[in-house]
Amino acid sequence: MKFLKIPFFVLLLCILFTFFLAATTNEDCMVCHEDPDLKTDDQKSLYVDYAKYVSSIHGDAGFSCTDCHTDLSGIEDFPHPEKLEPVTCRTCHEKAYEEFQKSAHSQATPEEDCCAVSCKDCHGTHDIKGKEDYDSRVFPLNLPHTCETCHLEKVQTERGGEFIKRYEMSIHYKGLEKAGLATSSNCSNCHGAHDVRHVHDPDSRVSRKNIIRTCGTCHMGIERDYLEGIHGKDYVKGLNDVPVCTDCHSEHDITSPQDLSSTVYATKVAEVCSRCHDDETLSRQYGFITERLKTYSSSFHGTASRFGETRVANCASCHGFHDIRPSSDPKSMIHPDNLPETCGKCHAGAGSNFAKGKIHVVSEKATNKWAYFVKTFYIIMIACIVFVFLAFISVDILHRVFRRRKKA
Amino acid sequence: MNLAERIQHFLLIGTFFILIVTGLPVFFYDIKFLKPLFSPEKSFYIRGIIHRVAAVVMILNLVWHILYTIFTKRGRDNFKEMIPKFKDIRDAFEIFWHHAGLTRFLNRKGILKNFFTRYPYWLFENPPQYGRYNFIEKFEYWAVGWGSFVMIVSGFLMWKVELSLSLFPLWVHDIFIILHGYEAILAFLAVIIWHMYNVHLNPEVFPMSKIWLNGKITGKELRVLHPLEYQKILEERQKVLESS
Repeated sequence: MKFLKIPFFVLLLCILFTFFLAATTNEDCMVCHEDPDLKTDDQKSLYVDYAKYVSSIHGDAGFSCTDCHTDLSGIEDFPHPEKLEPVTCRTCHEKAYEEFQKSAHSQATPEEDCCAVSCKDCHGTHDIKGKEDYDSRVFPLNLPHTCETCHLEKVQTERGGEFIKRYEMSIHYKGLEKAGLATSSNCSNCHGAHDVRHVHDPDSRVSRKNIIRTCGTCHMGIERDYLEGIHGKDYVKGLNDVPVCTDCHSEHDITSPQDLSSTVYATKVAEVCSRCHDDETLSRQYGFITERLKTYSSSFHGTASRFGETRVANCASCHGFHDIRPSSDPKSMIHPDNLPETCGKCHAGAGSNFAKGKIHVVSEKATNKWAYFVKTFYIIMIACIVFVFLAFISVDILHRVFRRRKKA
Repeated sequence: MNLAERIQHFLLIGTFFILIVTGLPVFFYDIKFLKPLFSPEKSFYIRGIIHRVAAVVMILNLVWHILYTIFTKRGRDNFKEMIPKFKDIRDAFEIFWHHAGLTRFLNRKGILKNFFTRYPYWLFENPPQYGRYNFIEKFEYWAVGWGSFVMIVSGFLMWKVELSLSLFPLWVHDIFIILHGYEAILAFLAVIIWHMYNVHLNPEVFPMSKIWLNGKITGKELRVLHPLEYQKILEERQKVLESS
């Protein structure tokens, strides 16, 4: 074991030496910078909270001041020149730096001082913590607030601070804030972190091109279902009119479908689907039938749903949601062979009779002659009977008026 | 009207009103101002419960009325009086032209004078004489009967949609829904226009006869509105007086 002792001793000496050197340097700096009143001529504080630095990830690892403030490393005469070079994190964090170079933040117009974002704006300066640390500004539970410090007011994005703030109503934010789920989506899960891009940038994680993959990162099963359905198949073809996740579920304020404010709450589904499926232009372009909302509303399901009943069937109850398929697909929930099963979800013991008729009745005349006959018969009968009533009543009144006049 | 008949009438009014209030908004789903009626959570569900409870009460009322009609003497007698006769059609025809007064007008102007002197009936000088029930009342009674039948059958099959669809294809079930809705509209209009005019708004009876409240018709009402019944009662009393 004797041969081990020498290198061990040398190593210990080295560590002690470095520590000694570093400690000395940092102390040198703190002689001045521990004074809370130390300020530049234009009142910018130069105070460094050394205790915070020591507990930061860099301080804890034993970095000295000059490791980051590199232009001070050779200097022995203090006080040093007033203006230092900005710290660059690139030396150690090369990958993050490269990602950041491509981001919307790095391309922010430098002439507007507000928008030039650098590492420290998100990560902090002397008090940087590891991203796993509860106190870190980029710890999943803290990140939304870090982004909001700029994006609520200071930096107006295209859709304004109100739109950003709506995130706080979302199920994702509830997951973070109430359930403490670090895996629940915060800003960076959808928008990216160092490489955050503008939504109109095709390479953005939230662009039409990438949004399915982005949501699918967590909602994998739904991504799979979506891609198997008619919407997903058209999405892969690159059709721009096909709905992606956010078209139905909204964006920042995504809530659970059970939540009354959700865009896909049971009674609101029909509205969401009919945005496209009642659109004449789209229907002509892609060959689907319109008047879905009207025909749904006129059915008991639709009427009840309009009046706030949540237990009746909405579009999704019969058509499915993520993997909607055309009725010609044997796997479709509304394929005639599958209708008894689909209807049977609510109507126990539903048989083949459920398939003998139309759910969305555009024209009774064309699809159900007897229903058309009964309806027409009733309308004519009601009109005739009311006419007879009114005729009898009007001659009665007429008679009274004349009689009174005669008497008078 | 005896107490049983008045209770039947009251139950009919109550259940009819509830059924209309809880039913018509569903028919007129497109009208926006009806929506807030059912905005609180579960209210549509409660609406359904109330509608069906009222329907069951109305059906029980109908069953009671049928049993009453079959098993009491008064019920049977009333029913016999209620049977439509040819006279009712003639009455309707005569009262219409009597009120319209068109032929009397023509006669005064000297048009078709010969025809009217030969057939004075066509002048409709006097209104028809009604018995215990006039054609209006008979029409309403049988309209309620027919309407109840349509509404009960179609309504029951809408209630038990699984049963309905195990017996009929969907397109037949759709007809039940149409029937239920349009028959309801017809009944509603009949009550609002016909019944309300004839028993309340008509100046002859305004504001109303108290018969549906205390069961008694006044002598004047009987004499003017139901002269044949008045005479019949008079004759019966005469007979009783003579025999005693």
